[in-house]
Amino acid sequence: MPDFGLIVRQNQRKQDFYAKNYGDIMEFFFQQLTNGLTVGSIYALIALGYTMVYGVLKLINFAHGDLFTIGAFLGLTLLTSLGLTNNIGTVAGVIVLAIMVVALVAIIGALLEKTAYRPLRQSNRLSAVVSALGASIFFQNAIMLIYGARVRVFPQNILPSTAVNIFGLDIPVVRIGVFICSLVMMAGLYLFIQKTKVGTAIRAAAIDQGAAKLMGINVDRVIMIVFMIGPALGGAAGLMVGLYYGKIDFTMGWIYGLKAFTAAILGGIGNIPGAMLGGILLGVIEALGAAYISTAWKDGIAFLVLILILLIRPTGILGERVAEKV
Amino acid sequence: MKKLLLLLLVTALSTALFFGCGSDDKEKGAIKIGLLCPLTGPYASEGQDMKNIVELLAAKVNEKGGVLGRQIEIILGDDGSNARGASIAAQRLATQGVVGVIGTYGSSNTEATQNTFDESKIIQIANGSTSVRLTEKGLKYFLRTCPRDDSQGVVAYNTLSKMGFNKIAILHDNSSYAKGLADETKALLEKNGKKIVFYDALTPKENDYSTILTKIKRTKPEVVFFTGYYNEAGLLLRQSREMNWKVPFVGGDATNNKDLIKIAGNKAAEGFTCISPPLPQDLLSKEAKEFMSEFKAKFGTTPGSIWSILSGDGFNVLVDAIATKKSTDSDTLVNYLHTEAKDITGLTGKISFNKKGDRVGDVYRKYIVDGSGNFQLQP
Repeated sequence: MPDFGLIVRQNQRKQDFYAKNYGDIMEFFFQQLTNGLTVGSIYALIALGYTMVYGVLKLINFAHGDLFTIGAFLGLTLLTSLGLTNNIGTVAGVIVLAIMVVALVAIIGALLEKTAYRPLRQSNRLSAVVSALGASIFFQNAIMLIYGARVRVFPQNILPSTAVNIFGLDIPVVRIGVFICSLVMMAGLYLFIQKTKVGTAIRAAAIDQGAAKLMGINVDRVIMIVFMIGPALGGAAGLMVGLYYGKIDFTMGWIYGLKAFTAAILGGIGNIPGAMLGGILLGVIEALGAAYISTAWKDGIAFLVLILILLIRPTGILGERVAEKV
Repeated sequence: MKKLLLLLLVTALSTALFFGCGSDDKEKGAIKIGLLCPLTGPYASEGQDMKNIVELLAAKVNEKGGVLGRQIEIILGDDGSNARGASIAAQRLATQGVVGVIGTYGSSNTEATQNTFDESKIIQIANGSTSVRLTEKGLKYFLRTCPRDDSQGVVAYNTLSKMGFNKIAILHDNSSYAKGLADETKALLEKNGKKIVFYDALTPKENDYSTILTKIKRTKPEVVFFTGYYNEAGLLLRQSREMNWKVPFVGGDATNNKDLIKIAGNKAAEGFTCISPPLPQDLLSKEAKEFMSEFKAKFGTTPGSIWSILSGDGFNVLVDAIATKKSTDSDTLVNYLHTEAKDITGLTGKISFNKKGDRVGDVYRKYIVDGSGNFQLQP
């Protein structure tokens, strides 16, 4: 006579074990997924700047990563000198701060276009690329000379540093905020490009500048607007990185810029939804690669995936429109 | 510019010749001790401290009548914070009849001078040169007052096991220093039956380490030992606390920097432990305190790091050897330092050397960050 009680208990224990481990496996996966999503959403925001400029001008704006850095440093200066969050409350303070940073970085972007790129519009493409590299070096050194080469730190305790528990996952509140802010900005940009007159003009200029001009579109103004929107998003990303991670330095734009550029290519450079998808995908691939393979090889894995995707789809995931334009 | 350099070279050569000829003076006039230090270049502040420390100590000895009835004269050599400058400065010092040389700062700069001094039979006591291989070459006249890189692994092991941890996660940043320390510590921990539940590297200079923290958290370690630098350590602390994960962190001597606390915030940094040579203000011996106040009175500041103070230790050791052996013969002195000398009083504690010329004993201390954001020395 078998001891049914024992068997039942054993089965129960086995089930508990599986349930617990299955739960653990899923929890780990989703935790890493959320980690990847936040990092990816920041990549996506910066990638938009690369892709918009490329879409219209066929130019890689190498100074874009440094505009991102400028956003972070301007945020620090405005925050500490105006004391916004102390005077008008945290939420309002951060919103006012974000508007100011975005506006200032947009102006810098427009100035950059006017001084470094517009005079070279008619010359060959290599000159503009060299000019972009020069602008990048200029910005990086200017930030270093103004703020110093050491790491700067945002004031602590502006944002809550607690985590909320959602479905058994510990997710810091600010991470959710970063993700949502990025999504809102991206959705806003998408609607702006698809639904407004200016957006239509930008799309028209991206497809064919000559034809757009013939249709009465002021292409110079369109390019100016592109050079304001892209850097504005990059500056906003810089501010978010500064506010959330706290640590900024004058070379931070290099790594983020490289990753965002990769994301733009992954999604299909010149394609706006592609940049969003590419950014988020890159963040998630990095997180999952680090989680399941090796953290030291995180970047190696991410770039391996990039190579594989480009081998299969040389224009990137959503990159058909680039092919159309050629 | 070229003419000026040439002129300098000629002057240097002629003075060298002059001093070289007058080697009989060695027995009568002042005892010459060389100080090789970076007075220009990126480590200039370090070199300035070394110069001030050694000259102040020499002045104190001379006030009391010098050693063996003779005054001490410090001959300065500027290595310019690079290996080429160090090599040239060493060649100059070697021709000036010095008994011994203190310095220099930086392992690669020191390495460029080792053979010059060894061939001239001049004792060299380095201060800020922790690379292991410097004393592994079997050079007879080379000693150092600073710890070796691999001794930190032993200290890390001792600290971690004394704190009672058995399941340990080790994280480095793939730099040769951090990986070396991580490997060293891992081997010692495993040999002694501790469990390493996680061993991997992060990418330095990034901002988001939540992925790696989530991964480490899953292995349920009792402590995380991070061997990299303070920037990443600050972010790791901050982000782990945000994840509601309150695991203790221990860091190597590259984390002993106030920026860590600024990045992490006082709350997240509280309780962070790091092992490091003591900071100048934490030297507790009577001699050290006395010297620090004299130094402050004379120069208005305290030395910036422990490495410059170790040059003062080199000076003390050399003077002690000369006084004890009543000789300035380098063979006699170096034999004394290698075998007989025991617990010479220095600024950073008692000093003895082993056969290789490495300092014996523990220079490292344990620091814990307190609630108000300061590294506190632990007894």
